[in-house]
Amino acid sequence: MTVQKNTLKQLKGSTKRSWQHIIKGSYMYVLLFLTIVILSVVKLGDVRMFARGHFLNWEGSIVNLLRSAAPILTLVGGFTLIIISGQIDLSVGSGLTLNAVLYSLMVLNGFGFASSLLITLAIGAVLGFINGFLIAKLRIVAVIATLVTLSLYKGIARLIVPAGVSGIKSTEFLKMPEWINDYGREGILAGLPMSFFVSVAIIAILVIIKRKTILGKYAVAIGGNMEAAELSGINVVKIMWILYIIVGVLAALAGVARASYMSMGDPLTGDGMELDCLIAALLGGTDIWGGEGSVIKAVVGAMIIVCINTGLMTVMPPFWLMFIKGAVLVVTVAVYTLIKAKVEKQTK
Amino acid sequence: MRSSLEEKSTVINKISTKGKMSNESFITLSMFVVLIVMIGLASIFVNNFFQIQNIINLVTNFWYLIVLGIGATYLLITGNFELSIGGTVAMTGVLSVYFCQAANVSQSELANGLGLPYGVAVALALLAALAIGAINALFVTKLKVASIVVTLGTMSLSRGIAKIVTLGAQRNTNLPDVFGAVGNIFVIGSLKLMIFIMLFIVIVAVVLEKKTVFGRRTYLIGANIKAAKLSGVKVEQHITILYLVSAFLAGVVGIILASEYISGTSSRVMGVEFDALVITLLGGTAIAGGFGSVIGTVIGALILAVIASSSTGLLLRPEWQFILKSLIVFIAIMAQRFALLKRKL
Repeated sequence: MTVQKNTLKQLKGSTKRSWQHIIKGSYMYVLLFLTIVILSVVKLGDVRMFARGHFLNWEGSIVNLLRSAAPILTLVGGFTLIIISGQIDLSVGSGLTLNAVLYSLMVLNGFGFASSLLITLAIGAVLGFINGFLIAKLRIVAVIATLVTLSLYKGIARLIVPAGVSGIKSTEFLKMPEWINDYGREGILAGLPMSFFVSVAIIAILVIIKRKTILGKYAVAIGGNMEAAELSGINVVKIMWILYIIVGVLAALAGVARASYMSMGDPLTGDGMELDCLIAALLGGTDIWGGEGSVIKAVVGAMIIVCINTGLMTVMPPFWLMFIKGAVLVVTVAVYTLIKAKVEKQTK
Repeated sequence: MRSSLEEKSTVINKISTKGKMSNESFITLSMFVVLIVMIGLASIFVNNFFQIQNIINLVTNFWYLIVLGIGATYLLITGNFELSIGGTVAMTGVLSVYFCQAANVSQSELANGLGLPYGVAVALALLAALAIGAINALFVTKLKVASIVVTLGTMSLSRGIAKIVTLGAQRNTNLPDVFGAVGNIFVIGSLKLMIFIMLFIVIVAVVLEKKTVFGRRTYLIGANIKAAKLSGVKVEQHITILYLVSAFLAGVVGIILASEYISGTSSRVMGVEFDALVITLLGGTAIAGGFGSVIGTVIGALILAVIASSSTGLLLRPEWQFILKSLIVFIAIMAQRFALLKRKL
């Protein structure tokens, strides 16, 4: 779709951009800015300018925000690539949970950092491989296949944790080693932990993959028109399989970050992550039918979600969270669809 | 998002085979055989499984899932998802409690409601449910947004409203006596009124599906939406009606459940949208649309009930249900595909 539109634009030689184009290209940055401003200025029952200056405080809230954002930042790029290729992966949250639980189980039982990290990534690749097998090879519709694995991974994660315990964590007999927090919590540069820099690096790699490599171009092509992509000789099965394995590995990495941040393997930790990722991708203007989208913009969308998740608690009671997220999703989809329809009318 | 292969196979499935049983009845029949086999296995391996009371409980405990599954089945036959039913059930229940609670009687926020009569409270709660259905329909038909995205959003919205109204907990005080009536009427023995409501809805749904133009149009939309449009079916209107009906059924379930437990909880029937999808798939409804049946969904619900009951009977941890459900959906999808392929050869 993007390719077609760009060529159309070049053919016409028009460079002027209407206000709808500008809104479509930049509204999520404005939205992020507004979210931050609102959260830093407003306080429930006490609407006073800059009464809550501490939201924009590096040492306190911003480091905290970015630190807790590491898992979703790690995940959202890969998730967006899947959406761009016209599929969906609803099992990311459960995959994250399962890997977080397995990682903390290994760490608790005396594995080193490197070995447990590598094994977790390998398990993540296997989970992604299973998704890819169901969707690319067996051709089960992605929504159903990943709902099935969502339930499966969630069940396994909850069964690994013994009954009556809230998670895999230090007990009287087994203590978590000192270094469990090193990856996801302890600051190494400007107070930010390793996991944050890893997620930034992953986003950079994914942007390059999407823009510069064959894999990215093929993903866009498959999302634009799967049959056409297949007919023009793209190995759709292989590309999709690779994409699902990438997301699986990223979910494992996000799980390690989360486990390290919480210093335990919580079997509920990833619940709802698929919804957060989906909202982030849609906020970033990714087309749910595939073929169009941007990793960077999805990351901005993810930051908005993180601001809402962590910032909202300080402004409103926590039980508002679910409603606000649903409202954000519905309103975003409505606004984006309306603007997109206008833009397409103009391009024609 | 739909694989083209599946679409093609759906179209092929619709071509009737003369003299032979239709593919739909074939799948329904084979799922019925599966149900019987599973009941047999459960009776052998699970203690006290094969008792009249237990078999009755299988149906009575899952009555709401069957009602919700019917709405989901019709929508899935047209190729649309409905994931907002669980949230709608919770929201309607909570709202009916909130509207009905006496006003200004207590210091506690959760004990005060609006003090409306029960009938008005129920009507308003059902209107709220219909509003959720209307949002779904508006987005799917007018804005052409993927149904899974919209219904995920309204799922969050509706359950979010339930959470806000109950402050994240539950409301169960200062309710008039009439509130608990509907959900606790015993008709015959231990059979409550809602079992008969469920049976009534099932019969209406089956007749609608098999004997009316409305039912046939539903299949046509799912099998080939373009052909349906060209042959004069009002596709948008049809899908709107289906979303409204599905939300209305969810609203009815919400009100009856709130009445049965005399409380409104925001976490009521958590995850039921997945269960509804599971039973429709078990009943042979194809995800790409155009194929499926209400009877199949009822059988799917019974299969799920047998699994849930026997895994409790075997003293498995409740977490096993996640794994069992996923494996069974997977097996059902593969088995149905295999069976249909065999028939074609």
